[in-house]
Amino acid sequence: MPDILLDMKKVMFAYNSGGQALAGVDFAVEAGAFAAIVGRNGSGKTTLTRMAMSLIKPASGTISFGGQDTAKLTPADMARSIGYVFQNPDRQIFRDTVAKEVAYGPEQLAFTPEEINQSVAWALRVTGLTELAGSFPRLLSRGQKQKVAIASAIAMRPKMLILDEPTSGQDPWDAQNLMELLTELNQQGITILLVTHDMELIAKYVDRVTVLDSGNKVFDGKPSELFNGNHTINAWGLLPPTTVALGRQLAGITADNAEELIKQVTTVINRRKEDHA
Amino acid sequence: MAIQFENFSYAYPNSGIVLDDITLTIPRGSFSVITGPSSAGKTSLALAIAGVVPHYFGGRQAGTVRVGNVVTAQSNMGELAEQVGTVLADYESQLVALTVAEEVAFGLETSGLNRSQIAELVSQALAMVGLTGLEEREVAALSGGQKQRLAIAAVLVTEPEILVLDEPASALDPEGAAGIYELLYNLNCQGKTIVVVEHQLERVLPYASQVMVLQAGCLKFAGSLKQTLAFMWQQPDLKLGVPPLWAVKLTLEEQTGLVFEGWKTAEQAASELNKLLPTCEEGVAKSA
Repeated sequence: MPDILLDMKKVMFAYNSGGQALAGVDFAVEAGAFAAIVGRNGSGKTTLTRMAMSLIKPASGTISFGGQDTAKLTPADMARSIGYVFQNPDRQIFRDTVAKEVAYGPEQLAFTPEEINQSVAWALRVTGLTELAGSFPRLLSRGQKQKVAIASAIAMRPKMLILDEPTSGQDPWDAQNLMELLTELNQQGITILLVTHDMELIAKYVDRVTVLDSGNKVFDGKPSELFNGNHTINAWGLLPPTTVALGRQLAGITADNAEELIKQVTTVINRRKEDHA
Repeated sequence: MAIQFENFSYAYPNSGIVLDDITLTIPRGSFSVITGPSSAGKTSLALAIAGVVPHYFGGRQAGTVRVGNVVTAQSNMGELAEQVGTVLADYESQLVALTVAEEVAFGLETSGLNRSQIAELVSQALAMVGLTGLEEREVAALSGGQKQRLAIAAVLVTEPEILVLDEPASALDPEGAAGIYELLYNLNCQGKTIVVVEHQLERVLPYASQVMVLQAGCLKFAGSLKQTLAFMWQQPDLKLGVPPLWAVKLTLEEQTGLVFEGWKTAEQAASELNKLLPTCEEGVAKSA
């Protein structure tokens, strides 16, 4: 069994305005996973990831990362372990060239100059930004800025990357590009945790999904299981991907993805045509 | 009133051409969707309807945009706002008041309505977007999705005939996104012209009457949902924008030689396909 990287036990949190954000949630991410948290706006997703980063501390419960209790760790300590990419990349970009921006984290973590150069060169290469190293980040497109934010996070060589709604407001072209990059990073050993509303992405890329509803964990398992029709996902504010919904309503079809669905339906229809011929 | 672009070209100050010779009619009462890859000019096209392009940004333009009989370049944003309500992609930037109710009332405060009339309209608009009960909440304390719905309410309350919304569901969960589009469709059924910029065409399948595809500033195609998706499917660099349900439909058509109806929902697709698939009894009979 793979090691547990992030392990949150019975974490509870309430905001001053009232409303319990997390009501004693167990949440664990295995090393090497490509995981996602989903749920309605306000279900506690961002609270959970902010807690993982030590940006907020649980009112009760424990959190460990790589076996170490994070209770006394600061966000700066956690930044060595977990890279965090905000929904709006503008909020985390402030230096005047892409290369300097990406170098900021490693500098703060007191990497040696050689390590900084290596990390920056690697991060730029993986994200496809090498050519833009000297560019002014603010003038880049949204998709490119997001890559700068990802490069900045991975340049610190974290074990895990958390991305909050990385594809919201992105067109399908940028979104696919991004998911391919994350798949590549995952294959290089970085554990990925997405916060997202996009069920198509979950069905296509993610191997493990956790659903939060009003501060409670209501599902934890494989995406195919989440969409298999045995769960009250509508009550959690989720909708199955349309192709999954279609497959479930077709007589005699047992597909949980579009390719399989097309194959099965085509086979049946073409066989029937031959029968009639 | 229809919206007409005639040989319209536009460049922001210090930019290259972002819209290149666009000729297009958005019919009165339509549910029109603008789509296409990043930097296609979608937002600029939407802003040109409200006159924000060119009145707010400046820049250079050629050709005309007409909203009804009004040429936008010869009008101004205030006057156009009476006909065209706009919700920006960066919806937070258009929220100005302290509380939710004040935000929605803002657009009515120079309307000559009295206090109780305004309160009534505000509560109707908040009910439409599902924010009833949050009247006294500070705008800053709302979630992204709530702010997005508030921006829509603040525009709805002034009852413009045309609504232009740039990615109105970008911050919403699937349920919230579906709710916003149902709301827009209801308004459309009441006669309002709806224009949205949307990347995820899945969301508008049940509603869109016209879809326009922009790419690198040029209008590549405008037509019914069915025509436009069929066009995008044939273009290697636009194919990815076809929603998954229609990717299934168009692939099945290629592989079986059949032609299916317009699939607006998975249910509609399923009922059509099930007529072609053996029923359970038949399946049993065959295997027996």
